[in-house]
Amino acid sequence: MSEQKFERGTSLSIFAADRREDLGALIAALLIALGVLFVIGK
Amino acid sequence: MIYTKKSPALLIIGILMLVWGYLNNSGGVDGMQSWLQQSAYSDHMKVKEKFDAELRVATEMAAAESKPAPDMKMPASKFDQAKAEQAKLSYIIGGIFAALGLLIMVWTPKEGNLDYYLGVIPGTAFIVGIAFVVRWGLDPIFGNWGKAAKPTLGWDFAHIFNLNYVVLGIVIGIIVVNIFSIPGWAANGVRTARFFLKTGVILLGVLYSAAELAQLGGLSVIMIGIFVLGSVGMVLFMGRRMNAGNSMTGILSAGVGVCGVSAAVAAAPVVQAKAVEIAYTIGTILVWGVGCMFLFPTIGHMLGMGPVQFGAWAGTGILNSAQVAGAALAFDPNGIETLKVAEIFNITRVLFLPIIVVWLAAWYVKHEEGAQKVDLKQVLIAKFPVFVLGFLGMFALSSMGVFAPAGHYQGKYFSSEQTKEDQWLKGKETRAIDGELKRLQEPAGGQALKEYFTAKAVNIGQRHATSDDAYKAMQNLIDSKKMMTREQDAVLNAVAKMAGLDPVAKGALEKASKAAWHNSKIIGAFRNWIAWLFAIGLTGLGMQITAKALKQAGGKPLIIGGIVGTVKAVGSLIVVLLFVKEFV
Repeated sequence: MSEQKFERGTSLSIFAADRREDLGALIAALLIALGVLFVIGK
Repeated sequence: MIYTKKSPALLIIGILMLVWGYLNNSGGVDGMQSWLQQSAYSDHMKVKEKFDAELRVATEMAAAESKPAPDMKMPASKFDQAKAEQAKLSYIIGGIFAALGLLIMVWTPKEGNLDYYLGVIPGTAFIVGIAFVVRWGLDPIFGNWGKAAKPTLGWDFAHIFNLNYVVLGIVIGIIVVNIFSIPGWAANGVRTARFFLKTGVILLGVLYSAAELAQLGGLSVIMIGIFVLGSVGMVLFMGRRMNAGNSMTGILSAGVGVCGVSAAVAAAPVVQAKAVEIAYTIGTILVWGVGCMFLFPTIGHMLGMGPVQFGAWAGTGILNSAQVAGAALAFDPNGIETLKVAEIFNITRVLFLPIIVVWLAAWYVKHEEGAQKVDLKQVLIAKFPVFVLGFLGMFALSSMGVFAPAGHYQGKYFSSEQTKEDQWLKGKETRAIDGELKRLQEPAGGQALKEYFTAKAVNIGQRHATSDDAYKAMQNLIDSKKMMTREQDAVLNAVAKMAGLDPVAKGALEKASKAAWHNSKIIGAFRNWIAWLFAIGLTGLGMQITAKALKQAGGKPLIIGGIVGTVKAVGSLIVVLLFVKEFV
């Protein structure tokens, strides 16, 4: 990873905390799931 | 701090993707694509040949009746579909990147959320772009090279060394970060890799059904239980013997035993670990995991392991969640069956975390004089990975049939009703099966069939199939000309693999089976999403493996982690080979 320091997030994530990253991933996954259901259907 | 770098990089990446989309759409790269996708192109030529013949006959018939030439359109081949998908993705993603790249060029950034999140996009585009090149370019190139070298070498090096998009993505990531370094405009966004991986893991829950877990659950719990608790205990024992320090030993045991980096981070407050100890543990896990990720699939192929066996082994023996996924995808890049099994084992292992946290807390308090009392409930609530709950939530929804009907979760489903009439067996094929049925009903054939089914142990429902089941299934197929039930399909698939079977009958049985299985579009779409999320995430993961992180793995943690990891990998391999069968 780059040696650059970031004031926000950590050196391995754009999120300050794992919990936030997890929630972001959860929202993204839900949106993708809804999108697939809407476009392709069951 | 301003995160948005005024660089044309994002705009250039976007334009390059749009150009690639246009070239695919216009046929401008058909020559290159026909070389890259040789199997799909061969299918395309067959479809074209058939269509040309039909068009010629239709045109001649129309001419004979003095009618205008018919307006026929060639059906889309796999080659056409692959090009159309590349064009569509390139247009959508390239369009978004180009528009945002333009915004970056004209906008004067000010500190705030817009600057921060806009500053993430160029780095994300960097790893997405590399994932595109790897999946659409390097992966098929190495595949072709492997096949081309096979007559000379005697083996397919690309297959044996798993040089597919997963491994190549990580290798390219490692090369970029260690040789070229990540460009300044991309540094912020490359940190999204773990986010993509976690999103992929959550979506993976869609591909499970409760019925599948009922088959695998017990086995995964027992295997994981033995190996997790065993390896944690072994690290705690060895760490004390080698004077590695209580906090170092404690955090390493969680990392090696449970689920790698997340477990190490979760256990850190429990054993009051220092930052450098977390770094050493993560370094050890990553280095060990990288080795396993390359070694496991090669050993798996050499031992002829099936997807369930390899998934169980990778999910048990490899330490880091992302590397479990990497190894599973490297072993079986197209099927994802291996990945599903590996993730079941992996998730089962993650679920052991609360037990390990409790154990470590008790162990640490006992061994560390003066250690402050740790609030276990608080640590669990604060540190338990929410994405695991997301995975379980998706699994619950899919088990309720929200995404697809039950039985579709393998990506393929059995349906006799949906078998097209032009795929029913023809007279020549049913006669060949009838001939084999008569031969197998004679004393010698009957004995061979009976012995074969005893050795094969084909499951139908709650029992093993017998030679009588095979007779009934063959007769039923002759009468109905298509597969009627899954049990019949399972029995006749086994019959088709019998040595000495008439080639026409064997071909007919395989054809009937293939015609009864259909692809689930929705599960296919979810698989595609998951494959992309992992491809992008793992490319970014490669960019986290610096020479510095590799050096950090040195010393006692690497020795302890290496020994325990090896014992766990070899032990789980033996258990898998002895007890895990291909029953999914």
